[in-house]
Amino acid sequence: MTTESPALSITDLSFSYPGDRSPVIEIGRYELPRGAQALLAGGSGSGKSTLLQLIAGLLDPTSGSLEVGGTDIHALGGAKRDLYRGQTIGVIFQTFNLLDGFTATENVMAAMMFSKIPRKEHKPRAEKLLAHLGIDRPHATPAELSVGQQQRVAVARAVACDPILVLADEPTASLDPENASVAMDLIQSTCKDTGAALLCTSHDPAVWERFETRAELAALNAAATKG
Amino acid sequence: MDDFSIVIKSLRARMFSTVTTSVTVAVAVAMLLVLLGLRDSGRQAFGRGAGNMHLLITATGSELESVLDGIFYANAPNNFIPWAKYEQVAESQPWAYAIPTQMGDSYRGLPVLATTREFFDVYQPSPGHAWELSEGRFFEGTWEIVVGAQVAHMTGIRVGDTIALTHGTGKSGPAHVHKEFEFTVVGIAALTGSPHDRALMATLEASWVLHAHDRRLSEDSNASITTVDDITEGDKMITGIYARVFTRPGRDSSAALQSVHYALRLDPQITAVSPADQIGKLLGIVSNIDQIFLAMAVIVLLSSGISIMLALYNSMEQRRRQIAVLRVLGCSKGRIFSMVMTESAMLGLAGAVAGVVIAVAGAQVVAGIMKARLGLVIEPGLGIEWVLFTVVATVLLAALAGVVPSMMAYRTSVSRALRPLG
Repeated sequence: MTTESPALSITDLSFSYPGDRSPVIEIGRYELPRGAQALLAGGSGSGKSTLLQLIAGLLDPTSGSLEVGGTDIHALGGAKRDLYRGQTIGVIFQTFNLLDGFTATENVMAAMMFSKIPRKEHKPRAEKLLAHLGIDRPHATPAELSVGQQQRVAVARAVACDPILVLADEPTASLDPENASVAMDLIQSTCKDTGAALLCTSHDPAVWERFETRAELAALNAAATKG
Repeated sequence: MDDFSIVIKSLRARMFSTVTTSVTVAVAVAMLLVLLGLRDSGRQAFGRGAGNMHLLITATGSELESVLDGIFYANAPNNFIPWAKYEQVAESQPWAYAIPTQMGDSYRGLPVLATTREFFDVYQPSPGHAWELSEGRFFEGTWEIVVGAQVAHMTGIRVGDTIALTHGTGKSGPAHVHKEFEFTVVGIAALTGSPHDRALMATLEASWVLHAHDRRLSEDSNASITTVDDITEGDKMITGIYARVFTRPGRDSSAALQSVHYALRLDPQITAVSPADQIGKLLGIVSNIDQIFLAMAVIVLLSSGISIMLALYNSMEQRRRQIAVLRVLGCSKGRIFSMVMTESAMLGLAGAVAGVVIAVAGAQVVAGIMKARLGLVIEPGLGIEWVLFTVVATVLLAALAGVVPSMMAYRTSVSRALRPLG
């Protein structure tokens, strides 16, 4: 990994589900510079989900390479890949996926368990981050928090380990337009503050307009096919 | 936050399942430990019961019954040996001792053993340990009585108290209190670990007087108070003889014992039994039973392992999302596997520890019942080696039970569990 390497670099990436002849993903070249924010658009079934799983190293590509911070995540095996994902990639889920029974602080600390951050720093760091994002009840469990507060905890967890790349999966899909705007403000500003690149997927045109860099997955696939 | 705190949180999140599963394990562990602990100490207690006698001579037909009644006070013997017969037996061999005993009276349901002073002087209630007193002295006069350690503990009798005995034990047939004859408590025996701890030791003369008085009242309801002088040969009955042949110093057995025993067995009026042999036979019977109980306890332990597996297996469906989130956060499959294994082992450990606590309490209860019913003083000490073995075996069994759920967790598909992701 070098300081010049982009947050995300995709080269000749192809992925097919076992038994399928035609690839779901076929991208010739795509780069997301460090600190940049981009929107990945596409309809249902277009392969956004699959691409995010490939970027996170949860699925293996059929061919091609996919580097996060200059490291080919798929070249790493098993536990090393999991650790690298935990240290370099933050994920914000559509349904937040906070851990039930864990407090807000513990949810953020859970992300740091798999990082190189010294253990004694986990709690103060999590509390500071939550306070910065306006969570005044860090000891409340997800069930005790409002939807907006849960979203903030999810954002805090995603950026807790100073990731290179944050993947936001339909982050506003379960919010009304007003809260969606607030949530996107929070995600974008937090990523900007921490220097993390942001790759966001969304169906919502209001979200699209917030990004200067947008890519249609279908267009990326088509470009690779033509090339 | 670390892996262990996630395990603890997971167990807490399913508190009902955690508690019920642990209780299942605890009951199995307790059963196993109580049986193991009581088996050894029970054998020791039975072995101690006969003291240093070689032979027990009674008029009871059954050998085992002779031992249970004549030593362990199971019931008052119904068959009697006339005093003349006793004298004949006592003179027939060069005995180290041949102590006459008479049972049949009681005090507040506790058995009374009427005997001679030799009982305290030469008979050892526990091999190698002579009688000792915790208070007072042994009886000397006819109406003096010594009480066993457990009797003093159970009844609160003190030296100097006067008590009246009941003719009969109240277990079978009518019993009546001889208020007209008062016994003075002169001594409280120290704990011996033998059945005699829950008996009262009176003089043979006093017991005969009680019987003579009943006889005289049956003959004449206005009969005056009976004294030793009123005892007839017919009143002089005993129920047993504690006998020991001479041995060389430091030895407990003698070559003469077999021939003495054989000679006595030829006498149809008496039953001469070796308490050691009878206790050995009894333990042989008990051994078969406790093997069945041990097998049952092991089966219960195995089934508790299965219940651990089922508890974790059933929880896996609800936990797939949590596992997937942890995987996304950077947790490896191996760590997930070890977390579920740890959770399973923790269930086993919690159950095992609770089981040890239950076993300690349970053993005390069972020992109390054995003492009350059979007069067996059992020190239910759970050998540390058994405790450690059982705890380690339970944790390993629990870990083994966790393999299948751990594999399920290991194989959890993140993409399926977190749909939609992207």
